[in-house]
Amino acid sequence: MTHRPTQRDERWLHAVTAQETAGTGALVAGTEPWPGIDPWPGLLDAPVVFGLRSRARPSGVEPDDLDRHLSRYGPRPVATGLHGESLLDRLQQVALTGRGGGHFPVAVKWRTALAAGGGGTVVANGAEGEPASAKDAALLQLRPHLVLDGLALAAETLGARDAVVWLHEGDHATHQAVSRALAERRSASDLGLVVRIAEGPDHYLSGESSAVVRALSGGPALPYLARRPAAVHGVGGRPTLLHNADTLARVALVARFGLDADTGGALVTVVGPSRRVVLGLPAGETFARLLARTGVVGGVPQAVLVGGYGGSWLPWSQVAAVQVCEAGLRPLGASLGAGVVAPLPAGACGLAETANLVAFLAASSARQCGPCMFGLPAVADLVGRLAAGRAGRADLKALRRYAGEVAGRGACHHPDGAVRLVSSALRVFEADVRRHLSDGPCAGASGPALLPVPEVG
Amino acid sequence: MRGRKAQVPVERLRVDPVACDGIGICAHLAPQLVTVDSWGFPIVPAEPVDRRSRRQAAAAVAACPRRALFLEPARGAWPASS
Repeated sequence: MTHRPTQRDERWLHAVTAQETAGTGALVAGTEPWPGIDPWPGLLDAPVVFGLRSRARPSGVEPDDLDRHLSRYGPRPVATGLHGESLLDRLQQVALTGRGGGHFPVAVKWRTALAAGGGGTVVANGAEGEPASAKDAALLQLRPHLVLDGLALAAETLGARDAVVWLHEGDHATHQAVSRALAERRSASDLGLVVRIAEGPDHYLSGESSAVVRALSGGPALPYLARRPAAVHGVGGRPTLLHNADTLARVALVARFGLDADTGGALVTVVGPSRRVVLGLPAGETFARLLARTGVVGGVPQAVLVGGYGGSWLPWSQVAAVQVCEAGLRPLGASLGAGVVAPLPAGACGLAETANLVAFLAASSARQCGPCMFGLPAVADLVGRLAAGRAGRADLKALRRYAGEVAGRGACHHPDGAVRLVSSALRVFEADVRRHLSDGPCAGASGPALLPVPEVG
Repeated sequence: MRGRKAQVPVERLRVDPVACDGIGICAHLAPQLVTVDSWGFPIVPAEPVDRRSRRQAAAAVAACPRRALFLEPARGAWPASS
C-alpha cells in the first residue's frame, strides 16, 4: 500500500515525476515500519507553487483531511511506536535540528524543558519570519495533521496542557486549514489534546521565538533579551517548547517510522522572478539539480542567496555541486537557515538586490535595540549608495565598520542576519564593488529588484 | 586546590539592548570595559570580567538608570557540581 500521488495531487504536480519527489528513505536498523505504510512518504509529494507575495495556497490544492492523513501516514504511534522517552532517544540519535533557521538540536531542547520540570506550553510556529519562505505555510495548509501530530507528541513528552499554533493574523489560508484540521481532531475521540490558534501582527519579527513567547505571555509580539532559554522559562515563566512547523512534521515522521531525520532531505522555498516553489528534496540533492528541477531561473545563475534574506550569498561556481543541507553548507560558512534558496540570474546586480533586501531588513527592525535601530539604516544607506554608484572608498570603510558594530548586538538575531547578508555580498560581488566604486553602477543595477520584499508599514 | 579563590564565580558584563537607551554612564564609570559604538550604545567584552576590573563593572551596573547592564555567570564558569 505504498502511497502514490492521486489525481488530486496531479493537479498541483509541477512537471515532476513521483519517483523524483517521493524521497528515498532508508530505515534505521531495529525499527519496524508501520505495517502497510510507505517507509518514507515524505513531507510533500510534489512541489507547491506560490505567488511572490502571497502565502495563500494555489487553487485546487486541498489540505489532507484526517482520513487522508491517516491513510497516508498511518495512525500516530501511542502505545506501540516511538513515544515519550523512546521518542526522545530517537530524536537525539537521528540528530533532528530546528528548521526555523536556528538548527538547534530538538532533543536538547526537550530534555532541557523536562529537566526544568516539564509542563508548560508547546507552540507550533507557523508565522514564518523570512518573507521569501513559504514552506511552513505549505505544510500547515497541505499537511496540517502531520504538524499537529508533532505538536501533540511534544505536548505529551513535556506533559504540557497548553498547545498553540502561532500564525500571522493576515495568513487566512493557513488559519483556515489549521482550524479545519483542529475541528476534525476534536470530533475524532482518540486525539484529545486541545490546541488553540493564536496570532501575531503581520510583521517580520512577530514569528521570532522570543517575540512569540512574549506575546503568549500577554506582552507585545516583539523580541526581548531572554536570560534563560524558553525551554526553561518561557510562556508565563513555565517551560516552553517552540518549534517551527517543519520541525514538528519531522518529529511526527520520526515517531512513526523512526527514520533518520535527514533521510527525507530538506524542505526548501526556491524564489524565482515570478513565483516561489516549495519542495521537499531527496537526500543528497545538489543545488544544481534543485535549480534544474524547479526551473525558476533560466540559464546558469551567477550566485545564490541561501538561508533567507538574512542569509549568505554564495557564488554559483562554489555551490552548484554542494548538497542542499546543513552539512553541505557549513564548510562554506553558510547555513540552510529557513530553507530559502534565491538564485541570482546572470546580468542582474547582486549589490542592487542586496541594497533592496537590507533596506527592507532595516525597515523591519522592531526599533527596540539601539544598534539595530540606528545601525541597520546606516548600513542600508551605504549599501544603497554603493549599488547606485554613489559611494567612495571612505563609504566602503564606514560600511564595514558599521557592520562590525551591529553584529551580535540586538536582543534577537535580526541585525546579525542583515550583517551576514551584506558581508557575503561584499565578498561574493567583490568585482562588482570595485567597478561600482570606479565606474558607477552596472547595467543590471538600474532595473527593478528581482527578489520580492513585503511592504513595511 | 587554589583554595577559596576558585569558589568566586566568573562573571561577564552584559547589556540588555532593549532596555538600554545609550545614556553612556557605564562607559564613563568602566572605561576599561565599556566602549561605545558609532551611535553611542555600549559595547561590552565577551570575556569574563577579570578581578582587577570587578569593582568598575559593579559600579557601572549599579549606576545604569535603565537597569540595562548586568553581570551574569560566564558560561562554564560554575563548578560542575557542588
